[in-house]
Amino acid sequence: MNLNYLRTSACSGASGRNATGLVSRASRLSAAIGCAVFVAIGALPAQASQASGTLDPLSLPAPTAGTLVAITNATIMTASHGTIERGTILIRDGRIAEVGANVQVPPGARVIDGTGKFITPGIIDAHSHTAAEAINEGTQSVTSEVRIEDVLRQDGISLYRQLAGGTTTINILHGSANAIGGQNAVVKLRFGLPVDSLRFAGAPLGIKFALGENVRQTSRSNPSRYPRSRMGVEDLLRDAFTSAREYRARWKEYDGAKAVWDRAKRKSGPEPVPPRKDLELDALVEVLEGKRLVHWHSYRADEILMALGIAKEFGFRIATMQHALEGYKVADELAAAGTGASTFADFWGYKMEAWDAIPQNAALMAERGVLVTINSDSDERARRLYQEAAKTMRFGGASEESALRMITLNAALQLGIDKRVGSIDVGKDADLAIFNAHPFSPGARVEMTLIDGRVFFDRSTAPTLEWLIEQQKKKPRVTSEEGAR
Amino acid sequence: MGHYWISRGGGTALAIAVTLAAPPLNAQSGSWALVNARIETVTRGAIDRGTVVIRDGLIEAVGASVNLPPDVRVVDYSGRTIYPGLIDLTSTIGLPASPAARPPANMEAAIFGASADTSIRNVGLEPGRTIANELRPAAADVRSARDVGIAVALVAPGRGLFRGLSALVPLRDDAATHWIVKSPVALHVGYQTVQGRYPGSLLGVIAYQRQSFFDAQRHATLLDQYRTNPRGMPRASYDADLDALVPVVRGQLPAFIAAGNENEIRRAAALAREFNLKATVVGAVEGFRAIDALKTMRIPVVTVDYPEPASVTGWAYRNAARHDLDDSTTRAAAVTKMLEGNAATLNSAGVKFALASGGVRPADFIANVRKAIAAGLPRQVALEALTIRAAEAAGVEQQLGSIEVGKIANLLVMDGEVLTDSARVSAVFVDGQRYDVIPAPATQQSPARGERRPGVEDKR
Repeated sequence: MNLNYLRTSACSGASGRNATGLVSRASRLSAAIGCAVFVAIGALPAQASQASGTLDPLSLPAPTAGTLVAITNATIMTASHGTIERGTILIRDGRIAEVGANVQVPPGARVIDGTGKFITPGIIDAHSHTAAEAINEGTQSVTSEVRIEDVLRQDGISLYRQLAGGTTTINILHGSANAIGGQNAVVKLRFGLPVDSLRFAGAPLGIKFALGENVRQTSRSNPSRYPRSRMGVEDLLRDAFTSAREYRARWKEYDGAKAVWDRAKRKSGPEPVPPRKDLELDALVEVLEGKRLVHWHSYRADEILMALGIAKEFGFRIATMQHALEGYKVADELAAAGTGASTFADFWGYKMEAWDAIPQNAALMAERGVLVTINSDSDERARRLYQEAAKTMRFGGASEESALRMITLNAALQLGIDKRVGSIDVGKDADLAIFNAHPFSPGARVEMTLIDGRVFFDRSTAPTLEWLIEQQKKKPRVTSEEGAR
Repeated sequence: MGHYWISRGGGTALAIAVTLAAPPLNAQSGSWALVNARIETVTRGAIDRGTVVIRDGLIEAVGASVNLPPDVRVVDYSGRTIYPGLIDLTSTIGLPASPAARPPANMEAAIFGASADTSIRNVGLEPGRTIANELRPAAADVRSARDVGIAVALVAPGRGLFRGLSALVPLRDDAATHWIVKSPVALHVGYQTVQGRYPGSLLGVIAYQRQSFFDAQRHATLLDQYRTNPRGMPRASYDADLDALVPVVRGQLPAFIAAGNENEIRRAAALAREFNLKATVVGAVEGFRAIDALKTMRIPVVTVDYPEPASVTGWAYRNAARHDLDDSTTRAAAVTKMLEGNAATLNSAGVKFALASGGVRPADFIANVRKAIAAGLPRQVALEALTIRAAEAAGVEQQLGSIEVGKIANLLVMDGEVLTDSARVSAVFVDGQRYDVIPAPATQQSPARGERRPGVEDKR
């Protein structure tokens, strides 16, 4: 029997991101089948813990935990106010009701024994391309009208694997194919529930912008689209925002004329006709008015400065520069502009503009007062963001709490959802990751992941590799001669 | 002027007045009296042994004891059952294979429009495409669909985001397009992109649809204002595609939204809600996963082109739960059962629906409906879904979908109970034209009264 475990990594992309967003249903399907095949050939069973057919084959049991849950005697890394040894978290109706070393567990609470365990806030991935059926609308340079929220999907197995890495909230961004991409969606990984349940209710609006080589289509032999240079990108941005200003002015003019017409007792002339509603420009007006957060894909210091200049010229704040591998060169400028940075811990060199990078980037930017996060941009990395955060300590000397915040509270701040998630504080959503060891230690892994106080991942009942091996061991051995008969 | 008394087995009698003209006795389209048949009217119960009189393509009389007019040809259908002709709302019969579809030579020109070649057709992105104008049904296609009992088909393109305006076509051999029952029936909407232009992804498709409906709302306002008083008003642009969307945003013309899986159904429901559309989901092969969303729209057109189990929403969940490691086959069988039970599940949940082929071959269509019945859908509900519900979905319930006086004479004559194993189609009447499926015996002589062979006409 050949245990083909290595195939797990090939499966992780089954539902995930793709460069063009144009992945066919067939290729997703074949990837999914590939995973199924892996499970089938990975370990043929004699017994299984659950009789098949008793479950609805197309749904998971509803995640539960009860209205009152207590996680006791754990090391609680709050991300906001230090670490509590042997502490208890009390969850009531999906929110954190109490947290501390001396919390009384009320009768009737479901108790999860946290002895020896480490609890962090649910990890927030500030840059994801999972759970969407399309990522790029790359046919035009400006596509601010498209919305990731329109194309969400809920059932990629990758979502479950990200839960198994303690990730609870993700920022699903449009791709970087065009200068002004689409509107992002902030979701919680409520895997197994209908797609509408994924939405993070009340999260501020946002949009993805991009700079550099992807926008210029440098990897294409036949670039099909303006702009093809960085100066063209800058011009396009100025054009787009100028159009947005004019559009806003037309609406203001109409609103004024309409008000006059409405007030007039004797109507002179016909009722004013509203200007054409333009979804593309609506989104840009929201940016201008500070109602939509800009997450801006960028690598080089010079283009980051260009973006900051455009934002200043048109009077808006950029929420984050995404990737920002050369952010360490312009950390002061970012900090002064109130612009955050969301970067990789040690991933670079995959194209020209991603060359001048250093693993100290995150820590250096944080030292200069930039709000920094470590993101995945990958279904695979999203399963182990705690390891990525640990690298900022190893390479850049970040403090433990600073490193933890880079995957929790800082991401919540960048996305404007810090009142709800990002730290273990009373009143926040009970989104928690329970680790078997210190999350920044090499052997750490997530035992349980809760969202809104409900258990969405529990290693003790998950079909883990260890479980597969156990199943395999229980199976009677078949020699090759017997098998050949 | 003559009067015919029509009654049903001891029940109330109703009288109708019929104008008698001297009918030309045309072999194709004469007036018929179908006698001694069991009649399943669908809307008014069954008549164990009765008569249907057809004149001028319409049902003139139906009942247990109908006085036969002197000028009709009588066909004895003893032992046969007459049903309304079936309706397939998902047909592509007679559509040109590929009407002048070619990607623009220059993408940039197409996008920025500066030198865009206006002769390029973006098939799949043509809301104003009127299918009735393009149809050229091939006789063989018409016959193969009719031979399983389908009397009319709703024809619309099968791909694209704004596919065009559909036509309800009778499946008759002569000039089917001349006798189109209704056009347009609906604007057909879907989620496929168009090659080589914006929108190039599902993201863009939905944004494009949303923007188009906003544009249509404004266009409607401008047209109204101009119609009321053109003086001093700048006129709205002439745009046939935008014009086609106006009745849709006004709720006058339904939008048929092709949505198969759960998320597509929910997207369709969201679009319908945002623009207050009269929306009909077409497909709903995963309707059992989105019953709540289906209930917010018009009755759906549920198709029986069952998907592969592994492509179904939720299939990935199995990998997140401990399960027998070699249960792939078992699991697939369970999911197949669930997919075939889609219609039955919807019916149990109180959702009314039409059934349609979803584009599978006619013989497979009926076979797949029978799978749905085997999975728990009552046969009578299936019959209704293929007749009166389909007529309702297409907005032609006054003309089609049941055997009632005044409706179009689309009838299905079965040897055996429809949608059962042993049933065979004897004949199909479309607009009163008779098409024998099982060839009638060669002899045409009139046997003694009461001894007519089933299906053989007696000219009187």
